[in-house]
Amino acid sequence: MIIELNLNGKQVAWEISPGDRLLDALRMDQGAVSVKRGCESGDCGSCCVLLNGEPVNTCVVPAVKASGQEITTLEGLAEDELMKKLQSSFLDSGAVQCGYCTPGMLIAIWARLNTGGTLTEQDVRHALSGNLCRCTGYAKPVEAILKVWEDKS
Amino acid sequence: MRNISQWFNPESPQEAAQMMRDTKGKGCYLAGGTDLLLENRTDFEFAVDLSATGLNEIARTETGDLFIGSCATLHDLETSPLTHEFADGAIAFAAAGCGNRPVRSTATVGGNLCNALPSADMVPVLLALDAVVFFTDGESQESVPLSEFFVGPRKTVLDGSLLIGLAISGQYANWKVISRKLTRTVEDISLVQVAVGLEIESDTILRGSVAMGAVAPTPMRATEAEVLLIDLPLADAPVAFASVADLTAATCSPIDDHRATAQYRTEMVEVLTRRLLCEVAGIEDVKKYRGEK
Repeated sequence: MIIELNLNGKQVAWEISPGDRLLDALRMDQGAVSVKRGCESGDCGSCCVLLNGEPVNTCVVPAVKASGQEITTLEGLAEDELMKKLQSSFLDSGAVQCGYCTPGMLIAIWARLNTGGTLTEQDVRHALSGNLCRCTGYAKPVEAILKVWEDKS
Repeated sequence: MRNISQWFNPESPQEAAQMMRDTKGKGCYLAGGTDLLLENRTDFEFAVDLSATGLNEIARTETGDLFIGSCATLHDLETSPLTHEFADGAIAFAAAGCGNRPVRSTATVGGNLCNALPSADMVPVLLALDAVVFFTDGESQESVPLSEFFVGPRKTVLDGSLLIGLAISGQYANWKVISRKLTRTVEDISLVQVAVGLEIESDTILRGSVAMGAVAPTPMRATEAEVLLIDLPLADAPVAFASVADLTAATCSPIDDHRATAQYRTEMVEVLTRRLLCEVAGIEDVKKYRGEK
């Protein structure tokens, strides 16, 4: 079957099988390699993208569900000002080690920052509750995000 | 999911239920799909996608009842002002504790109920609030109390019918309700879940409810223990709560598995029930832990 959707601002259509996961459809078919294959059970958040602005784990979203919707992967936010700030802050703070969880983490926190409101360390940790990182112990990513938030406000 | 050959997009609950009947046992309803993809089931060929059936509504009726559509996502429940203002926001709190943020964007309350795991995270709080569930076979609509909805692990009364949603009577809007679960890690399946609710007027508890999850083949209420909560003066509550907790623990029938032993789970039912009752009633827990009298 063919699905048609808005991927990173571009209207695209391609052939998928009805049982495909969004993860494979984006990564294998569309070459969106920021969508990492991790736990494949919805736990680790490496495959996190935005579906109509909401963070979702694509390993537990059927590809068909994205039909007619708007999907944003990290590739689509490459020129976004806030994302650029987050990325450089991650680098400056040493929040990136192996880097496998980084795209998912950036997407999750970018979505949270865009909902507005204040941001405490607790809020950051809550927003990242679905992103597992085995290298940094979370301290550095949290620090990097709070730095962006403080500069912004 | 791999062997799905066809994907249906019904536009009403009735149409969905009829399509399901037409698949003759080879179809499966799909709401958020998080459980279905995780389990990688191969026992169905047709997916009946509920996205377009309009079942994601959360509403308060004129009589004050809270209605939650089966396709409302856990994130909807976590953030809706309607769940926050009902029964101390206990439903929003329970929803916020399910899985993680990205999973809650797509996982639905209906999926959580219909998957019917003994440890389904949304169930104890809804049981404690006497939720009633509605379902349709495509022609007529039926309802049963949530306490009669589960018939065993992964088994419900639905038999191919479509869960439309659930309702909680407006009389529970001012109840004080708390739920809690014990897990190994925040995202793991619950070892023990307990939810308690109390209706308190001045210095008397008029009635209360105690619900448990993950400690029996189905989530359950501790009906015998609840009797002790009827017309209970708050002054007598500390002693009565200890008895309620003991009786609740005696009612459950947990299993041993790699996560915890049955003995531990039983013990934790007692501890959680007592602590939550004290917390809800706003009184001090006099018995620190079992064995220290």
